[in-house]
Amino acid sequence: MPKILVIEDVPDNAEFARRVLTSRGYEMCHAPDAETGLQMAQDERPDLILLDLGLPDADGQTLAGWLRGLPEIEHTPIVVFTAWPEETAREMVRAYGCDGYIHKPVSVAKLSQQVADFLQAKPA
Amino acid sequence: MFAPEPTLVASPALELRPATQFAIDQLTTIYNQARVDYVVPMPMNAARLTEYIQMYDVALEHSLVALVEDQPVGIGMVGIRQGRAWITRLGVLPTQRRHGAGRVIVQAMLATADRLACRTQLEVIKINEPAHQLFLRSGFIEDRDLLVMRRPPGPPTQIPSGETQPLERAEVLDRFQHAHEQAARLPRAHPNRQSWITEPRSLVNADHVSGFAVRLPDGGQGWVIYQEHKLRQMSTMLSHLHLCTEQGEPATVGRALLTQLYQRYPRLDTQAENIAVDDPHLPAFIELGFIESFRRIEMFRPCETRA
Repeated sequence: MPKILVIEDVPDNAEFARRVLTSRGYEMCHAPDAETGLQMAQDERPDLILLDLGLPDADGQTLAGWLRGLPEIEHTPIVVFTAWPEETAREMVRAYGCDGYIHKPVSVAKLSQQVADFLQAKPA
Repeated sequence: MFAPEPTLVASPALELRPATQFAIDQLTTIYNQARVDYVVPMPMNAARLTEYIQMYDVALEHSLVALVEDQPVGIGMVGIRQGRAWITRLGVLPTQRRHGAGRVIVQAMLATADRLACRTQLEVIKINEPAHQLFLRSGFIEDRDLLVMRRPPGPPTQIPSGETQPLERAEVLDRFQHAHEQAARLPRAHPNRQSWITEPRSLVNADHVSGFAVRLPDGGQGWVIYQEHKLRQMSTMLSHLHLCTEQGEPATVGRALLTQLYQRYPRLDTQAENIAVDDPHLPAFIELGFIESFRRIEMFRPCETRA
């Protein structure tokens, strides 16, 4: 069962992700801020990280930079949640070594499909 | 003073209270809830909001929380510096919008600014059209576009050139203050003019401020000031970058300064806020890997106190 780490500070959004992901059979762990997210990424070794760019203690981009510096999750896909315009989101994702983005507002269908796609594309 | 808004009627039950009546945790919660659906939400925890209040001279006694039936529905903060006011952290809960709460908060903050004989300024995110329109209707005039840029961690791709000289905090702040005073004589939209958050005063209020100077073989010289952010003693990112060219081509001196900076801090993320779109150092920022996150519009409103 793939494990997904959701780093998201808004409780409603985290709960939405939990409902969608667990109903599709994924195991989900949740961090409400960057510091916890960094620790959980190392402890839990998730198969995929869903990262909100707006976090209360450090920006999502900063956290993405830290995560990409961890050898133990070097190949773990990082996918960001963002409401930024498409072009900005694409450029940020590329610059910060993330693997893609899910544009907000997120729907059940979009989240399920994109998570499945990113997990499938993950290197073995 | 305010254009009529026939479709927007503030709830008669709307009450404004000074932010001093709320604990920092409550203010943080209200602010985060009000910005939850923003394109650039910029949430904060209590520690970050406390730092923000201190750094930007936010006067909580003049800042406001709006309530309906005793429940917070919005917030607006005011910074005060020597005859100037700055509106910031304005937000209304998504479920409470379109009822005029934002307009009431802004009007009350402007009345305070007028009472204190302050000219008011602010920056609004360019794609936040409702807020932009609110400020235009409230008498603000657009001044210039400012860039918020990011640079992901990574060493510079060029070999640093020139000789560097470290500058102590006091010395680099002194240089920055001097440059700021010179720029104050320039037209308001001049790229050397600082926005509220990038003024020397903000860095005087901040921790972990450093800088260095560089001298190039061709005679070019300049200096940089920046803030290093820490999270539990770990360096996390650089911000509040200001480049100054004293002699030579700004793009060349800027490139030398930034190359030296990332030679020192190759692992740190950077946010450069409120860089004027016509800043002559901009080519150096782009060359060193900065990318645009979003734009702000700086706006001003004169004091309306009548003698």
